[in-house]
Amino acid sequence: MGALMVIFSLQPKQRRKTTDSVEDELELSAVRHRPEGLEQLEAQTRFSRKELQILYRGFKNECPSGVVNEETFKDIYSQFFPQGDASTYAHFLFNAFDTDHNGSVSFEDFVMGLSILLRGTVQEKLNWAFNLYDINKDGYITKEEMLDIMKAIYDMMGKCTYPVLKEETPRQHVEVFFQKMDKNKDGVVTIDEFIDCCQNDENIMRSMHLFENVL
Amino acid sequence: MAAGVAAWLPFARAAAIGWMPVATAPMPVPPQEKRRGKDGLIVLNVSGTKFQTWRDTLERYPDTLLGSTERDFFFHEDSNEYFFDRDPDIFRHILNFYRTGKLHYPRQECISAYDEELSFFGIIPEIIGDCCYEEYKDRRRENQERIQDDEEADPGNELVSADLSFRESMWRAFENPHTSTMALVFYYVTGFFIAVSVLANVAETVPCGSVPNRAKEMSCGERYALAFFCLDTACVMIFTVEYLLRLLAAPSRYRFVKSVMSIIDVVAIMPYYIGLVMTDNEDVSGAFVTLRVFRVFRIFKFSRHSAGLRILGYTLKSCASELGFLLFSLTMAIIIFATVMFYAEKGSSASKFTSIPAAFWYTIVTMTTLGYGDMVPKTIMGKIFGSICSLSGVLVIALPVPVIVSNFSRIYHQSQRAEKRRAQKKTRLARIRAVKSGGAKAYLQYKRSRLLIGPDQEASKEAGQALVCKTNPNFEVHHHHLLHCLEKTTNHEFLDEKTFETSLREVTLVKQVSRSSSISSASSPHGFTSCCSRRKRKTFNVPNSNMSVGLQGSIQELSTIQIRERPLTNSRSSRSSLNAKFEETVPLNCEQPYITAAVISMPTPPGTTPEGDDSASSTDYSQANIVRVSAL
Repeated sequence: MGALMVIFSLQPKQRRKTTDSVEDELELSAVRHRPEGLEQLEAQTRFSRKELQILYRGFKNECPSGVVNEETFKDIYSQFFPQGDASTYAHFLFNAFDTDHNGSVSFEDFVMGLSILLRGTVQEKLNWAFNLYDINKDGYITKEEMLDIMKAIYDMMGKCTYPVLKEETPRQHVEVFFQKMDKNKDGVVTIDEFIDCCQNDENIMRSMHLFENVL
Repeated sequence: MAAGVAAWLPFARAAAIGWMPVATAPMPVPPQEKRRGKDGLIVLNVSGTKFQTWRDTLERYPDTLLGSTERDFFFHEDSNEYFFDRDPDIFRHILNFYRTGKLHYPRQECISAYDEELSFFGIIPEIIGDCCYEEYKDRRRENQERIQDDEEADPGNELVSADLSFRESMWRAFENPHTSTMALVFYYVTGFFIAVSVLANVAETVPCGSVPNRAKEMSCGERYALAFFCLDTACVMIFTVEYLLRLLAAPSRYRFVKSVMSIIDVVAIMPYYIGLVMTDNEDVSGAFVTLRVFRVFRIFKFSRHSAGLRILGYTLKSCASELGFLLFSLTMAIIIFATVMFYAEKGSSASKFTSIPAAFWYTIVTMTTLGYGDMVPKTIMGKIFGSICSLSGVLVIALPVPVIVSNFSRIYHQSQRAEKRRAQKKTRLARIRAVKSGGAKAYLQYKRSRLLIGPDQEASKEAGQALVCKTNPNFEVHHHHLLHCLEKTTNHEFLDEKTFETSLREVTLVKQVSRSSSISSASSPHGFTSCCSRRKRKTFNVPNSNMSVGLQGSIQELSTIQIRERPLTNSRSSRSSLNAKFEETVPLNCEQPYITAAVISMPTPPGTTPEGDDSASSTDYSQANIVRVSAL
């Protein structure tokens, strides 16, 4: 990655096994991350220069140190859903954005993810969604994984809903989903089944283009 | 609100793509982008000091002066900037609020000047961040108190509500004697009698001059026994009456009986009654005499009349650990020195130090530098140790006392502050809850307002959007669209607390009937149109069951039907869904003609006019009332 000017860097944990606790304390407070240059990001993503500027300003405002850790991420996301509990879904989102799994989302991760979601082809978007649902990233969506995701989504609704949320609502929803997606009825949904099925579903296709003019 | 993280809204919306494959209902149309064109810098000139910021930053908070069109009043054409004739130092903090979402209170600023600036720029002080909130509230309270001290204390500011019960008013009279003249009279009378009683106890023991036929002097108590007895009786009667009245008026009698003051009262009057009972028996008259000692407790009844005594008692109680430490260290020193003195003086003849406990008295008297002189060491070793004892006594006593004093002052101020913090915590929690519910309410309100304009989609939507956008900024509109998408994904809707409660009650009722009419669920698409017609004809009770089943029991079927029917008429399904929601969220008092117009304009599906619903007309009429209430 680019000009990673990290003072006492918070790098992958395998390198840090032998350090003192004092240094660890210093680490956490002095993490700084400077993203790659504007040109490079422009080349890697599908955003224009101006859009990247706006995105970075907002990102840096909320996270002055340049990286988002999971707690801040959950905090920010929860503010959009005041009635429910968005932390579980935010956790899954965080894992989806944190492509190199280092526990923090830098501006590059953030903007790559957004580039796919807002400016990517339908194939890429569906890929991203599949990646989100596949919690253990093994290439299959099992019913348990889907149930976790579903529960996380329903949690965001909170308690005061019409009609009243019942215990089995997420499970039923998962059943419907699997009925639709799992063509060979083997209990898991693969990436091909998923993409196939979504492309045949007009609703889903239409909704994929919903947020294209967000920026 | 989430306006603080407005910059992250595009991200939240993009992340909503994760819901799309899961959703079974079509998503709502996104609001149109309000192309405002320039995302420019705004120059704010505050008394000569120029501040610059993005337009978006200011518009994050549209209900303040800078975020709304109100700032146009301050636009200065000549220099193309906004000019404010206000204090630039305080303005810096206000602008920081827009930038970071947190309002800070600068400690060196005057609180009233700060308040004025906040109210000028339309910012409510409750937004002040936790880091500065306590300081702000403290300063504000001090200021209020200072203002109040200048004005005359208004005695009539206590609410005299006429609907207090007699018992409550009596209790209030006892606790706050200033509330009425009767209470004040009672207060002074009891105070007087306490003083009289105490003085009588004291005067009883004074020798009054001898009587001719007695050798020794008599005390006044024996001489004027009857007079003193009458006085005592009168006082005790007053105290008893007072105690019984307080017991009667107390809001919680059990708590009153447990309280210290009531124990003091009881102990003050008990000796008299015990004495009354026991005068017959000569053997225990000795014990009776000692009971008189307890009469001195009557002096503690003064603590009701003196706040200072109460505070002293409270602080002694709260300094108990420090006092205990003092006592413990003193005990240690006493034992050590008494032992040493005993063994040192053992050799000398006719020494008063007969045992270690006997030496305790010497040690205490010496350590507290009293030095009565009734016990003095005679040996040299004894004198040496005696002097060490008196020197160390000074140290041992002098050291913990300042600790106790400072503890006292700290605890005193702390107790004042603990009350304050408790009250502030309550308001802060209420604030947070209000902000949260405000966010949720804003969305529900937006839904209602949007749906009212909804059905004539294209034409009025522009007007509606324009109207909506005047009050809601771009951010709010997109945020609400996001929440709407979530509702569609889960096929459930957001409700506020009250509606949720009422709907909870109905679900139990409706469930009983849903079984019987589950057959008619197949005709659920009719549910949409029929519920509108239900509105039109209030007496038509049939479709209710359809709607209730359709919406609560088989949401999935509905949505799949929607998807199937979508190829036919796209707009119809979306309109009918709008109408369905309209039923639930719009209050009942919207205009009837409007509703009927909406119904008529819709192309009714073949064969689904209300006549078709005659088939399942066996449902309860009460259903209509119940389900209709849920729309409120």
